[in-house]
Amino acid sequence: MLTPITQNEWSRRHANHLLQRAGFGGTPEERTALYELGRDQGIGAAVASLVDDLEDWSSLPFPSWSTEQDPNGDLWDGSSERRRSFVNWYMNLLIEGKPLAAKLFKFLVDHLPIDMGTIPGEARFAYFLRFYDLLRKHAGGSGEFGNFRTLINSVSWSEAMIRMLDLQESSANKINENFGRELLELFTLGVDGGYTEDDVGAAAEAFTGRRLYRIQSPHPDAGTVNSKYLAPEGVPAGSAYQDESKQDLLPKSFLGFDRMPGGGSIVTGDHIIELIFADIQTAKHLSWKLWRYFVSPNPSEALQQEMALRLRNNYDYELRPLMKDIFLSQEFYASEVMGDQIKDASDYYVGMLKQLEIPLPGDRSTYTINERLGYNPIYPPNIAGWPEPNADGNEWMAAGSLLTRLNLSSVWVERNFYALNDWGMKQDLEDYPDIDWERILPREMRSPDMFPLLIEKLMDRFLPLCPLRKSQIRRLHDHYRRTSERMDTLEATKELVRLLMALPEYQMQ
Amino acid sequence: MIDVSRRDFIKKSAWGAATSLTLPAFLHQTLFQLDARAQSLPPQGGEGPILVILELGGGNDTLNTVIPYTNSTYLGARPTIGLSTEHGVLQIGQGQSVTGASEQLALHPNLANLHQLWQEGDLAIVNGVGYPNPNLSHFTSFDYWHSAQPNTEAKDGWIGRYFSNQCSGCDATQAIELATRSTSAFKAPEGASPSVSFRDPEQYGWRDLELVGRDIPLESLYRELIGLDHRVDDGIDLSSEALSFVQRSTHNAMISARNVREASETGGEMLVEDWPNNGLGRDMNRIARLIKGGMNTSIYYVHQNGYDTHNNQSGGNPLSGRHFDLLNTLNGALGAFVQEMKLSGFWDRMLILTFSEFGRKVIENGSRGTDHGAAESLFVMGGAVNGGQFYGKYPDLAEDARVKRDSMDYNIDFRTIYRSVLENWMQTPASAMADIFPNQPAEFNPIAFV
Repeated sequence: MLTPITQNEWSRRHANHLLQRAGFGGTPEERTALYELGRDQGIGAAVASLVDDLEDWSSLPFPSWSTEQDPNGDLWDGSSERRRSFVNWYMNLLIEGKPLAAKLFKFLVDHLPIDMGTIPGEARFAYFLRFYDLLRKHAGGSGEFGNFRTLINSVSWSEAMIRMLDLQESSANKINENFGRELLELFTLGVDGGYTEDDVGAAAEAFTGRRLYRIQSPHPDAGTVNSKYLAPEGVPAGSAYQDESKQDLLPKSFLGFDRMPGGGSIVTGDHIIELIFADIQTAKHLSWKLWRYFVSPNPSEALQQEMALRLRNNYDYELRPLMKDIFLSQEFYASEVMGDQIKDASDYYVGMLKQLEIPLPGDRSTYTINERLGYNPIYPPNIAGWPEPNADGNEWMAAGSLLTRLNLSSVWVERNFYALNDWGMKQDLEDYPDIDWERILPREMRSPDMFPLLIEKLMDRFLPLCPLRKSQIRRLHDHYRRTSERMDTLEATKELVRLLMALPEYQMQ
Repeated sequence: MIDVSRRDFIKKSAWGAATSLTLPAFLHQTLFQLDARAQSLPPQGGEGPILVILELGGGNDTLNTVIPYTNSTYLGARPTIGLSTEHGVLQIGQGQSVTGASEQLALHPNLANLHQLWQEGDLAIVNGVGYPNPNLSHFTSFDYWHSAQPNTEAKDGWIGRYFSNQCSGCDATQAIELATRSTSAFKAPEGASPSVSFRDPEQYGWRDLELVGRDIPLESLYRELIGLDHRVDDGIDLSSEALSFVQRSTHNAMISARNVREASETGGEMLVEDWPNNGLGRDMNRIARLIKGGMNTSIYYVHQNGYDTHNNQSGGNPLSGRHFDLLNTLNGALGAFVQEMKLSGFWDRMLILTFSEFGRKVIENGSRGTDHGAAESLFVMGGAVNGGQFYGKYPDLAEDARVKRDSMDYNIDFRTIYRSVLENWMQTPASAMADIFPNQPAEFNPIAFV
């Protein structure tokens, strides 16, 4: 299990696969560089170049509207513009962040989802920015960040999650079990993770009394907050605190334990989290999720067990050492794994922009595109978050979203800015830069006589893991020859790219 | 479920006969044939039954929907969110309780349109619906409802199995869901099921700039490349389950796009003028357009989310708050849809089923809300429904409220509802039930609500 592959197995395909899964893919040059690094300095060096490349996000600040304002939270949600801007900010982090940091960030956003509708207007963006900042730092792995247990503990104190899962309304005498249940089921032990309804109840009791200070927004629609509910001097507006008068301080039983390993009673949320993470099931569930997200849908029981033991016993829930083991393993590079994952919406969208070497478009366009692809990160489908890739009936392949994918290449390649039937998007894209076609396919390679070389080059850029079939190549060759006579070779090249990026094979990574 | 001419067509075709005994035919057909048939048999809008499934996501509090408004346990458990005569609940008579006594029941005051259907005999209510060992996770409980295989990890959905058993060879629009991600209820045992999911029919289609100089439209070339109109290469790579799934899904999307858009345009004229302009209202309007536009679709699947009312289920008084608003939306959208169907002559072909992944607890929580519970009440509506009466029994609130964490117990397994719909409404033979429902509850006789 998790045996590293040998040096002589390393190939361009391996490098393509690694960069695609540990990040969002890249240009032919980036993939070649990774391949050569692995070839010349060893596979370990190639994997390390991704896993040890930590990210503190300092070069990617918060959106301008959030920093121009008082950091104590004049972030009133007055219009949909800011929501769009927020989503674009997030998508830009996925594009600009270091590959693994960006991919892990998306993993965390997808699995610890917050629904913007559950957070009131005056706190919405303050809470979202703080929460996403927490997640991106843990994904980046810099400094004290990168540990899953620490992350979950911080999440249990995060304003956004406290608010969304009703923790601020849960008191010793009036329990709201929403957070307690999801903590066990979704964030740690997993469905059927060996806990009982009584354990849900005990967890709910232990987390009682967490409260949020209110935020006084200067916005005229925000109303006035009594100053006794505001955070004291020096404490961030709206932040979380423990109200002990509302806390259940009785000893509890949890997961079959009546006492903590050290002998004390089980009382607080911190105790609950400690016991959850001592349970191998938590490591197993997280390993299962990571494998499904980064590798393939059905990790064997033995593989899960092996990952779980390493994650808990060897790495104490540090994420990156486990990622390194995964990215070096034979299982990760199995032939039935490489190129056999269906891209989710942002794999598809971010990857597409990287391949075409074009920037993220404006807020309006990205918001519309995300929605049509079925991925609006601020409105998750449910508290379980976004679906993982899976082969037998992938939820990302709903016919309407799929047609959006097919049409998006027309937007970029043909500058068909009305392809999604959205007038705002068309206006948004008026000044959008054109694709550098010289980079995609230099003029001297566009001759129909050079078709074999030409299609090879395009496949390398757009279909590095899932090449065309012979019948497709023949048909495209025929078409290319005729189109370049009738129109010109640039138009013919554009048609090829427009079609390649709509093929079923293009949906694979 | 499919009309006679279509059935004949399938029987007579060589590939239909050759494959019907082994794998689902849908897997065997070349997509060329499939597409040819989709185009040669235009949507007929047939005479067959139509099923509309309305999924209420989040766990509808049916205790505040079909309300035991005189029950002292109910009123005691819900001092701030409970509803009674003073709130104008819409009385619908007595339902049988599992205690043997009867329960005075009423609809939520916002459900006036449903109340009218009840009085007209077109709305049936099934009380006490659930399944053994109820799971209180949204996620898992929805999985169970979609797979109709509670307490197992199922790989396919009940509608997917139904199609694979009864509609092999059907084209891609046998079921339509309005959503950006597909429900797992559609998942076929193998391959792609004859269903599509999309948000808006008007955005459903291939788009290109029409450039001067092209000898064929790019869409046609694209169809060849993916194996739709290719004579030899059907475009399906069976060596990869994932890739072949995407290839089939792409075929489904391309094949169905034309029909869907045409139907949506044809059916555009609405007879009801005041359709509610909200998410569910627009979705029901889209379904009405597709039906009136002549789609041959037999199952429509639509969602209303937001029922996870842990807090502010009621506002300051019980006639406000989140649940109040949700039911208002539900009532408005269903009211317009039913009216449209009646005016355009489709009502007798229509069965509407609502369900939620679970009900909610008897006792309200500390946030003017309710936590996840178990048994629930379902609505079944339609011109052919034996309505104005209750099926199933109302749970024993006093008993259930005593149980720790107070969830309600079921007495009708939801798989029985599905079976009743398939057998009594969709005309599925009883002999098919063993395949469609691989694990069955002990009590599994169809209920006569239709």
